[in-house]
Amino acid sequence: MVNDRRLPVLLLSPFMIALPAGAASAQEWSSAIAQPDLSTLSIEELAQLPVQSASKREEPLSRAPTSLYVITGAEIQESSATSLPEALRLAPNLNVQRINAHDYAISARGFNGYESSNKLLVLLDGRSLYSTLHSGVFWDLRQPLLEDIQQIEVISGPGGTLYGPNAVNGVVNITTRDSRETLGGLVRGTYGTNERTLAARYGISLGESAAVRIYGNGFARDGLPDGLGPDVDDSISGYRIGFRSDAGIGRSTIMLQGEYFRNETDQRPGDNDRGGNLMVRWSRDLDGASAFQVQAYYDHFRRRFLGARDALETLDFEGQYSRSGGGGDLVAGIGVRTTRDEFTNTANIFGLTPMSRRLWILNAFVQNRFALTPELSLIAGVKVERSSLSGFELLPNLRIAWQPAPNHLVWAAVSRAVRTPSRVDRDLAGAGIIVRATDFRSEKLIAFEVGYRGQPAANVSVSVSLFYNLYDDIRTAEFIGTPLPAQLSNNLTGHTFGLEAWGNWQVLPWWRLGAGVSLLGKSFRLEPGTTDISGAAALGDDPNYQVMLRSSMTLLPNLALDVQLRAVDGLETPATRSYVEADARLGWMVTDRLELFAAGSNLVHRTHAESNDTDRAQLSERSAYIGTRLRF
Amino acid sequence: MLALAALAPPARAQLSEDAVKAAFLPRFARYVAWPEAVRPQAQAPFHLCVIGQDPFRRLLEEAAGRELIDGHRVSVRRMANAEGAAGCHLAYVQGATPAETARLLVALRRQPVLTITDSRAGTPRGMIHFAVIERRVRFYIDEAAADALGISISSRLLALAVQVRQRPA
Repeated sequence: MVNDRRLPVLLLSPFMIALPAGAASAQEWSSAIAQPDLSTLSIEELAQLPVQSASKREEPLSRAPTSLYVITGAEIQESSATSLPEALRLAPNLNVQRINAHDYAISARGFNGYESSNKLLVLLDGRSLYSTLHSGVFWDLRQPLLEDIQQIEVISGPGGTLYGPNAVNGVVNITTRDSRETLGGLVRGTYGTNERTLAARYGISLGESAAVRIYGNGFARDGLPDGLGPDVDDSISGYRIGFRSDAGIGRSTIMLQGEYFRNETDQRPGDNDRGGNLMVRWSRDLDGASAFQVQAYYDHFRRRFLGARDALETLDFEGQYSRSGGGGDLVAGIGVRTTRDEFTNTANIFGLTPMSRRLWILNAFVQNRFALTPELSLIAGVKVERSSLSGFELLPNLRIAWQPAPNHLVWAAVSRAVRTPSRVDRDLAGAGIIVRATDFRSEKLIAFEVGYRGQPAANVSVSVSLFYNLYDDIRTAEFIGTPLPAQLSNNLTGHTFGLEAWGNWQVLPWWRLGAGVSLLGKSFRLEPGTTDISGAAALGDDPNYQVMLRSSMTLLPNLALDVQLRAVDGLETPATRSYVEADARLGWMVTDRLELFAAGSNLVHRTHAESNDTDRAQLSERSAYIGTRLRF
Repeated sequence: MLALAALAPPARAQLSEDAVKAAFLPRFARYVAWPEAVRPQAQAPFHLCVIGQDPFRRLLEEAAGRELIDGHRVSVRRMANAEGAAGCHLAYVQGATPAETARLLVALRRQPVLTITDSRAGTPRGMIHFAVIERRVRFYIDEAAADALGISISSRLLALAVQVRQRPA
């Protein structure tokens, strides 16, 4: 039963009737001009267009003044990816390094590496996935059901004021589909040379505007061939069960989701990970032009590996308000997060002091888009962030967007971002060898960006961004005794610069080509008079170039062929070779409900090295699988 | 103060919900078949009526102006109540209150008009009922109500619906 709890705003209608029906104001007129031409889109495309939204103001792709690539759910399903990190290879502005069967290093604009990729914010339905232990993401704990992903927004660069803590070099924002859009059943299974997956989902409608889906997702992955790291068993298997429910009640929408997962890794007998989360979100449209949203979640995971145990419990609350009209679009919000961790290590003498700690992270932001002229807008925002391990950090961001025509956008931005200290940064200690760095500071970035995005022809879209990033206080380690002990410090300073460009070309109605390139240069130095005994480990090791080509063909109405090529520069210390690899997938819709597919990854070489992590890296190898998807 | 808010123009240059809804409205005619007796004659247009409130204004003329369906244009008419709705093929129905929307729908219920409503304006539903879900403009379809008046809705449109109230088998 749906209750109508709307405010009687329509009582205001006498004013609206008083407006002559056909007479549009000058402002409306300009709005109509600036709208893209929707008449060329199919109804299916119309149904997929993001519209001015109630929260964090999702902008149509062409208008977002940032380096943004969107991976759609359909693209993931047409790709050979069977896991989230593999799906992220679709974004040309991310560098994905597979380390071994379960670990990945993923970064935007440099600093890649298992330990050094700590400047990325990853959100899954608004839930933050980076760990406060080291500010990185444990990708093996994150195995969402790929068929339920609505889209993944990948922002390279600080991502503005709107996202939460740690959005320094990029934001990966994953959203899953509303449960009202996933009614009915789905079963998917794949069987391959080094991985088997099985997933099922069932969605049922609960009355007129509510629904719930339940899902389960399991996988088993073999270990990879021996690489630079020790020859250990890196196989992994796991499962995840969960639900998501959405309900529309008048002008409100309520979303509730929860999950439990477990992974078995067995590098040592008994090694495993488990965890779960529960989240609730309430969004409400206030009067058509303004809206608010509040959400809260609880997340918990525990990893046990090689004699170490790492547990993290997170409680997070966020609220935001948005309003448009009157010459500006305003978004404001607050976030409060508290975490409690516990890290113990029996493998060596390194540990955290204290072993367990509660941290608080607070942030508040406000951003406004000022429409200076119909073509030119200025976006100014500021975020204030404070954590138990840092003082107040002020993170301003200024963007300008010029849209001389509906299909061309030129933008520029300058922003400040910081990575607040992680537990490792502050509390890593080992008797006599390393002592806590209680005055470790936030790593800081001032980013300058310019970009163009547009649709120069109806069947071509292009995006180009250039960036120049100034970093300061990047992590180092130095001797403070004679020589021991050592301590973490903030002595690296320098800059990175680069280019990201991609385009899509709908060559023929049944054939689309895509290409992407990212180039990166880095230059860092130590503060005068300091040393870094870690050898600049915090800078990671990045390819200087990465090129991608992609072809998506609908060979027959029910037969699709997707091929993706990538060429990635080698790494330096220790050196790995540059490589060219290809993935391909052939999908056959046997009926509307039944799909069969065959796919291969890393088809060019039997093995290649993507990571030079001497503690963990194994070789990536050629693999293939067959699979089926059944909907009912 | 509230009155001023209502008079404020919609956000400029956003890809607004209203623009997408306005793009859908004339497009629906493409995926719907009316009983023989009410189909437009050769050269005559489909009539898209806005009954009651009009959230679209200029947007609707622009969208309709670009449609040409088997040689028929789509012309937009606006009316305060259901009295002049006899010639309408499609009708966007939004009363000043949900109760009024419901009354307008009742007044239309014996005419072969594809009625369209919006969840923003309340719970009363026409044959197609817009809702914004996950920031996409989607809709519910009442195929049973359409079928009762001899209106058939193509499977392509049905496939896009969030939910379909199916016609009796």
